[in-house]
Amino acid sequence: MTATGLAARQPTGTAPAARGFKLTWPVVLLGVAGFLALLSLVRIVTGATDIASGGTVSAALSLAVPIGLAGLGGLWAERAGVVNIGLEGMMIFGTWFGAWGAIVTGNPWAGVVAGAVGGLLGGLLHAVATVTFGVDHIISGVAINILAMGVVQYLSKLVFAPMRGGGETQSPRIPGIDRISLPGIGEPLRQVESNGWFFVSDLAGVLRGLTQNVSLFTILAILLVPLSVFLLWRTAFGLRLRACGERPVAAESLGVNVYTYKYLAVVVSGALAGLGGAYLSIVAAGIYREGQTGGRGYIGLAAMIFGNWRPGGLAAGSTLFGYTDALQLRQGGTSVHALLLFVALILAAVAVYQLVKQQRVRAAVITAVSAAVVFTVFAVTDTVPEQFTSFTPHLTTLLVLALASQRLRPPAADGVRYRKGQAK
Amino acid sequence: MLRNRVGRMAAGVLAGAMVTVGVAACGGDSTTATPAEGGSSAAAPTGAKVGLAYDIGGRGDQSFNDSAAAGLDKAKSELKLPDPRELTASPGETEAQKEERLRLLATSGYNPVVAVGFAYSGPVKKVAAEFPDVKFAIVDDAAATGPNISNLVFAEHEGSFLVGAAAALKSTKNNVGFVGGVQVPLIQKFEAGFAAGAKAVNKDITIQSKYLSQPPEFTGFNDPAKGKTVAEGMIDAGADVVYHAAGGSGSGVFEAAKAGKAQAIGVDADQALTADAAVKDVVMTSMLKKLDVAVYDFLKSFAAGTVKPGTTVYDLKVAGVDYSVTGGKVDDIKDKLEEYKQKIVSGEIKVPETTS
Repeated sequence: MTATGLAARQPTGTAPAARGFKLTWPVVLLGVAGFLALLSLVRIVTGATDIASGGTVSAALSLAVPIGLAGLGGLWAERAGVVNIGLEGMMIFGTWFGAWGAIVTGNPWAGVVAGAVGGLLGGLLHAVATVTFGVDHIISGVAINILAMGVVQYLSKLVFAPMRGGGETQSPRIPGIDRISLPGIGEPLRQVESNGWFFVSDLAGVLRGLTQNVSLFTILAILLVPLSVFLLWRTAFGLRLRACGERPVAAESLGVNVYTYKYLAVVVSGALAGLGGAYLSIVAAGIYREGQTGGRGYIGLAAMIFGNWRPGGLAAGSTLFGYTDALQLRQGGTSVHALLLFVALILAAVAVYQLVKQQRVRAAVITAVSAAVVFTVFAVTDTVPEQFTSFTPHLTTLLVLALASQRLRPPAADGVRYRKGQAK
Repeated sequence: MLRNRVGRMAAGVLAGAMVTVGVAACGGDSTTATPAEGGSSAAAPTGAKVGLAYDIGGRGDQSFNDSAAAGLDKAKSELKLPDPRELTASPGETEAQKEERLRLLATSGYNPVVAVGFAYSGPVKKVAAEFPDVKFAIVDDAAATGPNISNLVFAEHEGSFLVGAAAALKSTKNNVGFVGGVQVPLIQKFEAGFAAGAKAVNKDITIQSKYLSQPPEFTGFNDPAKGKTVAEGMIDAGADVVYHAAGGSGSGVFEAAKAGKAQAIGVDADQALTADAAVKDVVMTSMLKKLDVAVYDFLKSFAAGTVKPGTTVYDLKVAGVDYSVTGGKVDDIKDKLEEYKQKIVSGEIKVPETTS
């Protein structure tokens, strides 16, 4: 089985391996602590108390989960070589079927299953089109997005309109999923948080956001990330699946049924996107509303590319997006203004690193100049106008991508049409 | 090679996004020829054949469009009109599709044609010029003018002033919030009136304000998850009354108010009646925007042959806007609100239409 050679080229683990040093737990924790200290400093200087509050962290989590699930869906499909632009449509199926399942049974978990099944059907359609019939992946995906919107509009008229409290464009209220808290620490943490101490209060805020009043669905969604890592990178099944995305011809020559694996991957992809949609309607909104996905499927796809086609990376990408989105939605002007100082400090640190450690003088100068520019903007303004705050998440993600200058490496046969026996 | 692929993929994502926005309508541009219940076929109605084009959401949105539908239904039963034709816009459709919809109504012999929502501004202006014999009405827009166009607009700022005053009177923390759907001039009128009303009661009050999306992105009217996040943020920052002018995102605002033990103010319709039973107790009052009155009045004057082109403003004076009292939560401050209402009607208080 020489196919293992494929995997050997890639470093294993959840996080994308950075150049020069290995990401171990102590390094990660130190990095997080450093970020938090910097945030805390910014909070004390600017007085933007919301940037590390429990409310922000909890909002960030619930904004990140749908994007992360869609991204995870994208990951499964693309690791098997199928580009899935249809994530948005599968998410739309997820929002509708999730709401429907929860309402007709009265049990939100039935809605979760129904949402996954709805997305799965979308995935199956995509698989039939792209794998069996060899349709261009983009075309099939876009068609699914259009189809999904039409189908749920039709179904809403049929199902939700006659319901009490429902209408042609929205469902009645959906029964909620239980939320749990780590007992005993909620109130103490809130106390510590409200004192405004350096670092300690921010840590308390983050812990409170992560441990109090968390939906069980959120926990399930987070667990799906390590589960995907395990299945795709630690099992023979995952190796074969990824081989189909890297070099299907080679996989075929070793006896892997590429069609089966692609089918499985795309169906799982659809189910994950469906889960993302179900989360949106059941947990995040508590209601189905036409058009509520608002392009989150595409953002999920972008988060996956951001994460270099790796679960850890896409989780980081969607968290970053969710966090900045929470900031701008909650205390837009103030928090985003404080974020400017944060960015300026980070840029300054990067400049020093580039100069001292890497001896890249020109890069360091450019980074230092941008740090100065950002700082000037921060210094001469009091708040960021509404028109700018709303695209903070998109801008931040772009900036991080640009600065990280990482080498993105999609699966080699991603989006390439594969026919059985084409190697002959 | 590699770069190429990433680039192509990015282009694909973009194209995908754009195509969905542009073409999505194909999927859902279904037309709702509502078979009217209880259509009195026996009387062989002879009145005008009304064509009505809804904005996104259409009949059944429990808010804006439903309000227009109520006016149509009332006109139909009272004026004995034949079955009207009702069409609905789809999310992300183009102006051309709206024009096509209006043209379809006009060419199929429907007269008058009522367009609901400012999004029809351009299309109405264009199509009305093509059909000089058909009377057009457009709700929420004064920009589309013509000899056969009636503009039915509302003084949302005046109604919002009253609920702003109510919010300030009810707030114990001197902190109120406004959640707007999309930052367009129409919704800014709500914000301006709300802020003016709150300040009239207490000039030191803190007013938090946030829009869910920026044009040309109109997802802010349909994103309850974001509405909830924003309202949570406001409540965490000390607000105890939150007013929303965010259409379908409003249900998220109510959820947040319920969870945060705050109160909420509804919009357009009496949302203490339309919201879900589990959250309706947080709806303190609603800013009523009586589309039904406007649509009914228009159809009635059409039947009487007295339609006049140009702008008709439905303000406090003619009860085109108002606040609701369902649930009795504002009974204790009703006298003060009525006082403000009289002052606005008499012109003593001039409510601003734009913020600052």
